[in-house]
Amino acid sequence: MDPVLLGEILSGLMFFGIIGFLMLGFPVAFTLAGVSLMFGLVGMSFGVFDPSNFGALANRYLGFMTNEVLVAVPLFIFMGVMLERSKIAEQLLLTMGKLFGNMRGGLGISVIIVGALLAASTGVVGATVVTMGLISLPAMLRAGYDPKLACGVICASGTLGQIIPPSTVLIFMGDMLAGINAQVQMAKGNFAPTPVSVGDLFAGAILPGLLLVGLYLGWMIFKAIFSPESCPATPVPPEEKKYLAKEVVVALVPPLALIAAVLGSILGGIATPTEAASVGAVGAMVLAALRWRLSFRIVREATVSTATITSMVFIILFGASVFSIVFRLMGGDNLVHEFLSNLPGGVTGAVIVVMAIMFLLGFILDTFEIIFIVIPITAPILLNLGVDPIWLGVIVGVNLQTSFLTPPFGFALFYLRGVAPNNVSTGMIYRGVIPFVLLQIVALAIMFMVPGIATWLPKWIYS
Amino acid sequence: MKVLAAIVQIINAINRVVGNVFSWLSLAIVLVCFTVVVQRYALATTHLWMQDLYVWLNGAMFTAVAGFALLRNDHVRVDIFYRPATPERKALIDLIGVVFFLMPFVWIVYAYGWNFVSRSWRLYEGSANVGGMPGLFVLKSFILVFAFVIGIQGLSMALRSILVLTRNEHLLPAEYRYENQQETH
Repeated sequence: MDPVLLGEILSGLMFFGIIGFLMLGFPVAFTLAGVSLMFGLVGMSFGVFDPSNFGALANRYLGFMTNEVLVAVPLFIFMGVMLERSKIAEQLLLTMGKLFGNMRGGLGISVIIVGALLAASTGVVGATVVTMGLISLPAMLRAGYDPKLACGVICASGTLGQIIPPSTVLIFMGDMLAGINAQVQMAKGNFAPTPVSVGDLFAGAILPGLLLVGLYLGWMIFKAIFSPESCPATPVPPEEKKYLAKEVVVALVPPLALIAAVLGSILGGIATPTEAASVGAVGAMVLAALRWRLSFRIVREATVSTATITSMVFIILFGASVFSIVFRLMGGDNLVHEFLSNLPGGVTGAVIVVMAIMFLLGFILDTFEIIFIVIPITAPILLNLGVDPIWLGVIVGVNLQTSFLTPPFGFALFYLRGVAPNNVSTGMIYRGVIPFVLLQIVALAIMFMVPGIATWLPKWIYS
Repeated sequence: MKVLAAIVQIINAINRVVGNVFSWLSLAIVLVCFTVVVQRYALATTHLWMQDLYVWLNGAMFTAVAGFALLRNDHVRVDIFYRPATPERKALIDLIGVVFFLMPFVWIVYAYGWNFVSRSWRLYEGSANVGGMPGLFVLKSFILVFAFVIGIQGLSMALRSILVLTRNEHLLPAEYRYENQQETH
């Protein structure tokens, strides 16, 4: 058999083999590496893979360990954990609930606004869904909300942190796309390409993030008008609203100050994302201290959470590196290249197919695993076909927010299941997110038709 | 079987200590990076070695803590079938995973990392940046540290699986049994 063809067949089988073996439930990072090694061994026995290529592995790992841009990841995680401990989310939810409670759909609107604010002040998804599930879900159920709508709006708003900068997902994506873009432009003979940075991706994600917030709000208002029984108003007693103006200011100042300091300095071109993240992390500690919530125990817990979450993400990257080495050297790259270049619809067709694959993978994997596997093998081809790297990074981010929302393996669904009362069934949570997944697809469609939503702001800021 | 249980406890204790100690590096990263920012923007000076330092601390942290994260079951699993499974089935999956996925991975990292690291030690290699940190060989060694902490934690997982499958899970202290394993999410 033709060795090239054999290698391509093996690399294709490997991709599906990994997905199959992941179902066993062994940690993803090691399954990725282990299954890739098994296929490497098979490839070796057929003479289509040379194991000496693993020599590149250590150097690649050192690259991750000395990558300045990626240090923003633990810094933003630390900031997020610290903010969670300082309970600003709780305070925001309670005051916003009072502010909008008198309107139909008001509690839902307050959840969306708080979700957007928290997303813009931290880079992590997860804690937000839990906090909203603990505070807002009971409040909405008491008010007589349709549990499906309540769960859907919490899951969707709580995962906005994925796309609204600063976002850890966008940091990894920015770093990967920067390298890939440089290589592609070099290969095309463009030796002085415009570099792509994490800052560009942050700037590019702002308008799409606001678009999503707008779509969620629009849906909530639509429900309030056309199906008022699904989201009734909750009259707030006047004595509770006495100091409301002051409460709103007190609740809004800390997140707004952090957003201004962190995002402002990145987008203003004053600081790199990593530098801004360290300011944000210290700022979060100061906020916690101001609220008398900074103790040795809390700092210790924050360090352990930060270290283990960071480790978990980077080790997936380690495992995915084994996959990309084996996949590439067995000819998987050519396979993907041939496949993507010969699709009907040209570039648009290729992007749509990659997006569809990522969306489907989102049902079983989460964002980090998907981008570590899919971006290195597809982005070079897409960028070579002329796709704008910033636009690509941002639509991938919006697309993969659904990986948190699609059953059976969506983080947000798990988090909410963990804190939701027992009379809210898992089925209600699953059905509740459907409209929001559809809104996500609407947002993607809009970004396809009007790419400027993602590319205009970075151009405007950095020109 | 008691020997196996004792080995599990020793390994878990090692990774618990390593994890707790190296977790503090996250605070160090915050403080060193913040100091660099203050120096650059407020005092208009900069120390190149400090710019290397916070980056390297991250590399050392996430590699050294990997075994501890595995002990805590922090590494993400696709647990549609794993989560509702009985302890025996979980033990079997973990045993298969360690033997066929984790250990070969550890071996590859060790086998191909060894030369990379030892060459660096012979040169007492420092940072590639002028005025940067000395001791790049120490940071490179953390690739082997990673292989070590993951390797021993994998061994601990495999031994626990054997204890469970031979109905000896009671030999383990309660915190290391499957019923008390925290869910990944």
